[in-house]
Amino acid sequence: MELERPDRALRELYARWLDRTTKAGFAIAVLAFLIYVSGAVPTLVPLADLPRYWGMPVSRFIAATGSPQGWTWLRLLGYGDALNLGAVALLALVTPTCYARLLLALAAERDWLQAALAAAQLVVLAAAASGLLAGAG
Amino acid sequence: MDPGAPWWIWPIALFAVSFAIGIVAVLAGVGGGVLFVPIVGTLFPFHLDFVRGAGLMFALAGTLAAGPPLLRAGFASLRLMMPLALVGSIASFAGALVGLALATDLLQTLLGTLIIAIAVLIWRTRTADRGGVDADALGMLLGLEGQYLDPAAGVRIDWRTHRTLLGLGAFAAIGFIGGIFGLGAGFANVPALNLLMAAPLKVAVGSSGLLISVINSSAAWVYLQRGALLPLIVVPAILGVMLGSRIGARLLGKMPASSVRRLVIVVMLLAGLRALTQGLGVWS
Repeated sequence: MELERPDRALRELYARWLDRTTKAGFAIAVLAFLIYVSGAVPTLVPLADLPRYWGMPVSRFIAATGSPQGWTWLRLLGYGDALNLGAVALLALVTPTCYARLLLALAAERDWLQAALAAAQLVVLAAAASGLLAGAG
Repeated sequence: MDPGAPWWIWPIALFAVSFAIGIVAVLAGVGGGVLFVPIVGTLFPFHLDFVRGAGLMFALAGTLAAGPPLLRAGFASLRLMMPLALVGSIASFAGALVGLALATDLLQTLLGTLIIAIAVLIWRTRTADRGGVDADALGMLLGLEGQYLDPAAGVRIDWRTHRTLLGLGAFAAIGFIGGIFGLGAGFANVPALNLLMAAPLKVAVGSSGLLISVINSSAAWVYLQRGALLPLIVVPAILGVMLGSRIGARLLGKMPASSVRRLVIVVMLLAGLRALTQGLGVWS
């Protein structure tokens, strides 16, 4: 089958990027979590106080704790909870990263239909990540 | 568990539950999200908003980790994934927005009903490897075909799909529901790919995992933007499921899969019933 060779190369490329970025994301998530629960850095919401709030709907939780929404956690990475949101965001960035690499490979092969699908997917993920459509609160 | 217990008890308990779900989900061939959300949502003190956010990350983490070997074996197809994931992730994004706007009681009731329906679906679903279907025009245009080496039979299997438009519609519906409830929706992806579009079962299972990794990324961003991802819940859950899945994969050849599958159906029915009664205010 003529399609098989480029398909296999693309699968291998995507698998390689998925593997590396996922492992890096998990390693960072574990490290950030250990820093958070060890108390090595301050937290926006003290760990011991969390049980008072985690039973609330998210809107009330935000109002009661002042926890970050949108991208505001980026400015608060010195706090353990915001640092962990960053680590979780890295995991959510794994797919867009792999898609971006796939898009380059598809464009290089002049497979324009698949490249357009990859580009459209990146636009959807970017729209979701931007928070512009989701709003914050 | 005592809601007044010290905070550190909960992440440890969550890790243990996620670890167990990771083992059982692999053995039973279901996505862990359908167990995670109803079990954690009813047995732990966390609000359902945070449980659904963690459920999305739980399913995302498991499928990200499983993706590379599935791709290398040819069981996951990028050509099959890309158009379906695009439709599914737009719908999942919309579903996440709707889910975060719904009242908790209504969500619990709908979740309970859905989980019971999924348990029945898993119980009733039969798989089919028809092969040799005629591709439709859209499927041919998108190149929805491929091949893989079946290690059990030692033969190369060529496959193609059909009913592409119906498949796209199915993935829009599945993505929407998954976004609302924080589920990976593997329970619906596999029948849609296998029974509706005629993808071989192994390709359906492999591509379903890859689809979840894309579709859930979209909904996960909505939960993150809204502040509905609590690290103290998310991180132990994803670490537990990753370790549990690895143990489950090792036990796969040694455990009677049909017994585990029956156990999962019973657990889902109980968890679904609990969520339903909580939502209706019968048992809170």
